[in-house]
Amino acid sequence: MNFDLDDEQRDLASAAGDFLRGAASPADARAALDADDPANAETRPGRSALVDSGFATITVPEDLGGGGGSLLDLAVVAEQAGRVLAGPSFVGYARAAVLLAGDGDRLRALAEGSAAYAVVDDDGPTLDAISADRFLFLRGDDLVCGGGAVTTRAPMDPTRGLAQVAVDGGDVVAGDARLRWDHALRVGRVVLAAEGLGTASRALEIAVDYAKERQAFGRAIGSYQAVKHSLVDVYVQIENLRSLVWWAAWAADQAPDELPMAAAAAKGAVSTTLEAAAETLIQVHGGIGFTWEHDAHLFWRRAKVDRFLLGDDVAAYDEVARLALAAAAASSDASEPSAPSAPSAPAGAVAR
Amino acid sequence: MDFEDTPDEAAWRSTVRSFVEEHRAELGDRRGRRTDGDDVARVRQALLYDGGLVGVTWPVEAGGQGGTPMQQAIIDQELSRAGVPGLINLIGIGMCGPTVIHHGSDAQKDRYLKRLLRADDLWCQLFSEPASGSDLAALRTRAVQTEDGSWRISGQKVWTTLAHVADFGIVLTRTDPDVAKHRGLTMFVVPMKAEGVTVRPLRQMSGGADFNEVFFDDVVVPDSERLGDVGDGWRVALTTLMSERLTLGGGGTEIGMSISSVAQHVARRIGDLSSDRQALARQDFGRAYVDTLGIRYTGYRQLSAISRGAFPGPEASAGKLAGTRVARDLADLSVRLLGDDAAYAESADGSTGWQDAQAGLPGMAIAGGTNEVLRNVLGERVLGLPPEPRADKGITFKESIR
Repeated sequence: MNFDLDDEQRDLASAAGDFLRGAASPADARAALDADDPANAETRPGRSALVDSGFATITVPEDLGGGGGSLLDLAVVAEQAGRVLAGPSFVGYARAAVLLAGDGDRLRALAEGSAAYAVVDDDGPTLDAISADRFLFLRGDDLVCGGGAVTTRAPMDPTRGLAQVAVDGGDVVAGDARLRWDHALRVGRVVLAAEGLGTASRALEIAVDYAKERQAFGRAIGSYQAVKHSLVDVYVQIENLRSLVWWAAWAADQAPDELPMAAAAAKGAVSTTLEAAAETLIQVHGGIGFTWEHDAHLFWRRAKVDRFLLGDDVAAYDEVARLALAAAAASSDASEPSAPSAPSAPAGAVAR
Repeated sequence: MDFEDTPDEAAWRSTVRSFVEEHRAELGDRRGRRTDGDDVARVRQALLYDGGLVGVTWPVEAGGQGGTPMQQAIIDQELSRAGVPGLINLIGIGMCGPTVIHHGSDAQKDRYLKRLLRADDLWCQLFSEPASGSDLAALRTRAVQTEDGSWRISGQKVWTTLAHVADFGIVLTRTDPDVAKHRGLTMFVVPMKAEGVTVRPLRQMSGGADFNEVFFDDVVVPDSERLGDVGDGWRVALTTLMSERLTLGGGGTEIGMSISSVAQHVARRIGDLSSDRQALARQDFGRAYVDTLGIRYTGYRQLSAISRGAFPGPEASAGKLAGTRVARDLADLSVRLLGDDAAYAESADGSTGWQDAQAGLPGMAIAGGTNEVLRNVLGERVLGLPPEPRADKGITFKESIR
């Protein structure tokens, strides 16, 4: 078993981290929020810098100008993007790369940056709609590329570029495309979860750093169990999320049968985990964490918006349950459980 | 990245699997029963040992095979998959044995280790006391050396799993109360049938009686049964506790019921609910299932590190912490789905599995490190947060109990 990133992926993450830290930051997310028209504010790094970097189109074939990489490659990059609240999201690039498979011209346009796609679902706001110049959507079973009327509203998190899109006309890219659409949606969920993993990890780091420094009653607040334990609970959730993101990305690349479960699990886990991380970040900071001037709410905004993107967390957990129960009903060795083994050791472990 | 066995691992898995298949009937089935008597369990462990499936990671001279942690993980997976009940001498293998291997004399190793692996002798670990649970180093059981060099042990231990059937135990004692509490400890091997040892079973809230309180009344132990130096018992105990980390909830093993048995139960019962109740049950189950998958795949990351030869670090505590939580959530959901039976300890058809599971799980959040202690370990050792100040720092044990 080798369930770990390889050296190339670690190098990729490191290079992506270098680029993204230089190209985007929570300060940029704040600037978007403070802009005169936040609903249409530009996000950093922005589409052209992302495309030029090559990171956004890692999953587009090399001969069409992309990176020819795997979804796992894209996921480790997307994690870095999540750490700095980068926009636009890598989700749109990943979905478009799946949807446009076989359409060399459009894929090349995606990789060159001469076309800015957003993917429009049946209902709900469209991610990165405000920076898009064309839309991919399903009409009946046809995959269509066309224009649309974009309506913005006051954003909760301007880095997500959300808007309502009324699609119109367009050209059929592929018929009988529902399976491809579903696959692309799942790939999008994996990338969204990877970004959320980065956002949650960074939120935890900031909270832990503060808990080490901030003094109360003569000692660092991180020494108090009430604070320490809430940070640990977030850490445990993040590590489990990391495992689910890697598994889901691996499944998309190597084991498509496992992708529906893995993508839904990652989507559910990222919603719950990012929310916990962001709320803990605020709580650990106390009053300063609730101010406009502190970055905590920028992470919190991501959590509160992302949970509703590409289907919400309730839908994701429901899908997980339905898939698991269908599999269980199909396997017939029904049996009573064994009782959990009795506590198999004395309560003798100690704080060391 | 892959989830495949290496060629060596695959060959080992096939060896393990064919042994289990060949002896499937003799090995017993953990489903649908409470627990076997210890005689049956001893025979099962001996069979597995003779087949080369117990203690593979132990050195050859200790009765093992000098194998890798990955080989052990594969054995665990295969036995679990086949539904073979757990080993009775788990505490001996996971904790007492490694302590003897690291700190015992050659004579002790010869005398004890192979018999421990075959369950010819059962072992228990005598650490916790009524006044020292999580704060183990505050223990009070005294060992005093006599003129002939032997030791006399007096005091009380508690929560001692298997003490009522055990042949030997490792006991942590205080040999010097006039130094700091971590300094004055010494570890011994003690025969549980020795004169002056009294074992009283403690009934758990689940109704079972798997652990005990143990009284030592001037029990004589020769100096040759000391493990490690006099006063070095804390370091010796750390060996025991580090080994414990691997045994409980490491490597992504499931705590409590298997998720597949829960899934089958939910699949069978959910249709009895109204549609709005079904939606709620699916939310609960979906969340618990996601947590289970997260723990499982995090365990695979740890196994991958083990497969590369790494030793599990403090982050392995996360598996027990999260696994205990999700096991309780799953047990709660499973009992809830029993309808009227949920309020009784036994279902109308006479089965008790889900109710037993529910009643057993609170203990898992305490045994082998409470949730709170595990969170301290993770917070301090992994996140690097400062420790809580201690009121007993810089004073002797005797001063600390005044």
